[in-house]
Amino acid sequence: MTVLAGASGTGVVVGQPVLAVRDLVVHFGARRRSRPPLAGRRSAGIVHAVCGVSFDLGAGETLGLVGESGCGKSTTARAVLQLVPPTSGSVRFEGRELTSLGTGELRRLRADLQMVFQDPYSSLDPRMSVGTSVAEPLRVHRRLGVHGEERVAELLRTVGLDPAHARRYPHEFSGGQRQRIGIARALALEPKVLVLDEPVSALDVSVKAGVVNLLEELQDRLGLAYLFVAHDLSVVGQISDRVAVMYLGKLVETGTAAAVYQHPSHPYTQALLSAVPQPDPALERRRRRIVLTGEVPSPVSPPSGCRFRTRCPKAAPVCAEEEPALVDRGQGHPVACHFAEAVDPGARCGIG
Amino acid sequence: MAQPEPVLAVDALVVRFPTADGVVEAVRGVSWSVGPGQVLGIVGESGAGKSVSALAVMGLLPDPAVVSGSARLRGAELVGMAPRVLNRYRGERLAMIFQDPMSSLNPVRTVGWQLAEAVRVHHEVSRRDARSRAVELLELVGIPNPRQRARGYPHELSGGMRQRVVIAMAMANDPEVIIADEPTTALDVTVQAQILETLHRAREATGAAMVLITHDLGVVAGVADEVIVMYAGRVVERGGVDEVFYRPRMPYTQALLGSLPRVGPDGSGRSVPIPGAPPSLIDLPPGCPFAPRCSFARADCGDEPVLRLVEPPRHQVACHFSEQVASAWGGSGEPAARAVNGEVSGGRS
Repeated sequence: MTVLAGASGTGVVVGQPVLAVRDLVVHFGARRRSRPPLAGRRSAGIVHAVCGVSFDLGAGETLGLVGESGCGKSTTARAVLQLVPPTSGSVRFEGRELTSLGTGELRRLRADLQMVFQDPYSSLDPRMSVGTSVAEPLRVHRRLGVHGEERVAELLRTVGLDPAHARRYPHEFSGGQRQRIGIARALALEPKVLVLDEPVSALDVSVKAGVVNLLEELQDRLGLAYLFVAHDLSVVGQISDRVAVMYLGKLVETGTAAAVYQHPSHPYTQALLSAVPQPDPALERRRRRIVLTGEVPSPVSPPSGCRFRTRCPKAAPVCAEEEPALVDRGQGHPVACHFAEAVDPGARCGIG
Repeated sequence: MAQPEPVLAVDALVVRFPTADGVVEAVRGVSWSVGPGQVLGIVGESGAGKSVSALAVMGLLPDPAVVSGSARLRGAELVGMAPRVLNRYRGERLAMIFQDPMSSLNPVRTVGWQLAEAVRVHHEVSRRDARSRAVELLELVGIPNPRQRARGYPHELSGGMRQRVVIAMAMANDPEVIIADEPTTALDVTVQAQILETLHRAREATGAAMVLITHDLGVVAGVADEVIVMYAGRVVERGGVDEVFYRPRMPYTQALLGSLPRVGPDGSGRSVPIPGAPPSLIDLPPGCPFAPRCSFARADCGDEPVLRLVEPPRHQVACHFSEQVASAWGGSGEPAARAVNGEVSGGRS
């Protein structure tokens, strides 16, 4: 595995993040709708998809970004890679600002920042053999050389596939195998950061565990840093070192996976964790779910103050007036809530 | 079994699809039943035959499919029933909820129109009455401003709201059985919790029995009374929800439970994948279909095990070694599939 070993070790000073995102903002211009909308709420305007998100990602570390559909987690992932242009804010990779780079420079840097998409069915070209797909990034970056075929075989072996299958086409593979092909392709250029957008959400449980374990092994071996975007809290809890919970374009709670899962302090995090069904009948019968009422408000006109206040069981007048900052409020990790209070999930589930 | 007369009883159900490559036996002799007000959970991987068996019961499979065996709703045989008679059963006494609400709703009709139609098909009521029943149903499933929403189209609703409309439609005629096929799979966890609560409310309001098909063992744990585990078109384990989750006797069930990541109080723990893939259902080789992926597999597995009672009154398992399998299980909290796969790996800190 000498070829792949390059990403680990040198290059990054311990303690300095590989990726530093500051006040990232992504707004989309919404078009005027021809028919008046039902509730009259969604008038033409700007979609505030990501509103001032900041985080660091250290070398060899996994940051899990969780939240419901529409909270802006995928847009954040894409904006980090400059696949959607950020409206403002800064994204630094090893100290280099990505937002101001030209196309050519960006393309060269993208070798270090790769992405794995959710749907392994649509992210692979059905008319391209798997070997060609995996070799494509090498070809684009003119690194195919004479050993290209060996490299493709090695990549396929790395993700647990038979190199002899390089001539086959995507339809001949199962969902889990296709996701492995997607990972092999993302690894082709020996990246330092892998952005994974819901990489296991489309997979069967029995297959999911295999892909998650593969990602963990690859990280240990290659020293990759992962930005792991998912809505599945159990998978995120398993793979992440640190977790950031996102709601309507903003981070509401961040911390180590243990801190966030053991002492969730934002009412939204608490609700999310309590909603995850557990394969334990007695626990399920005992536990009280925090069922959130209503739905995520429109990102075109987000609520004033705290964005979660419209669904929050703790909402008070101050929440509408003053936006809570993401700071440590005595819980040991940053929480964006005026009434942050650590809760022991064991007690909530009725164990203690 | 001293259980009340089942509402819906499926017996030795077989579904075959003739294809160019040979006959696919998607369901190979499946039996289950569900009592009044009870919830039966059907779990398994994709391709295990969960949905196909439900569709066969509903008579919704496409023409080339050959269905044999029996499915009785309060004694009336549904398999082979004339479509005209079956149409009266479907929607009125037997309702189904599908995974994707967008494709089960008509995009060019208002939500209220579709609900009213479901009522009018089975009852002679005026348009106005059907209409007000539609609004009532929307209110029952927790849709805010039901009167206004009834005038809206499916695309104007979120995924969770659409699924509520579909549940409302299933409830429209107070069915005796609701078959829900992966009703929460496409939804976010918070919405999933809302939908599970809505389903619970729907059951209380109609007194219907429910068959809940899902690959999410967590969903089944909280809702089901009885669980069946399907693999390669067969039932491999069947029992009360506690028996199946706490004392699984089939290596496949244990492996399935072990492959789940859990949100424990510590938020960690490694899950163990099941090696290999489910077999192709064309010309299935003889013997236990799970044997190639099973660490307990031995020579005896060349004979396909039949479902037998291991724990009265109802815990049944299709495995030759269910005793050894039971003793290998590490207990409820422990992902015991580690023992099953012989793979002991240090947990990630």
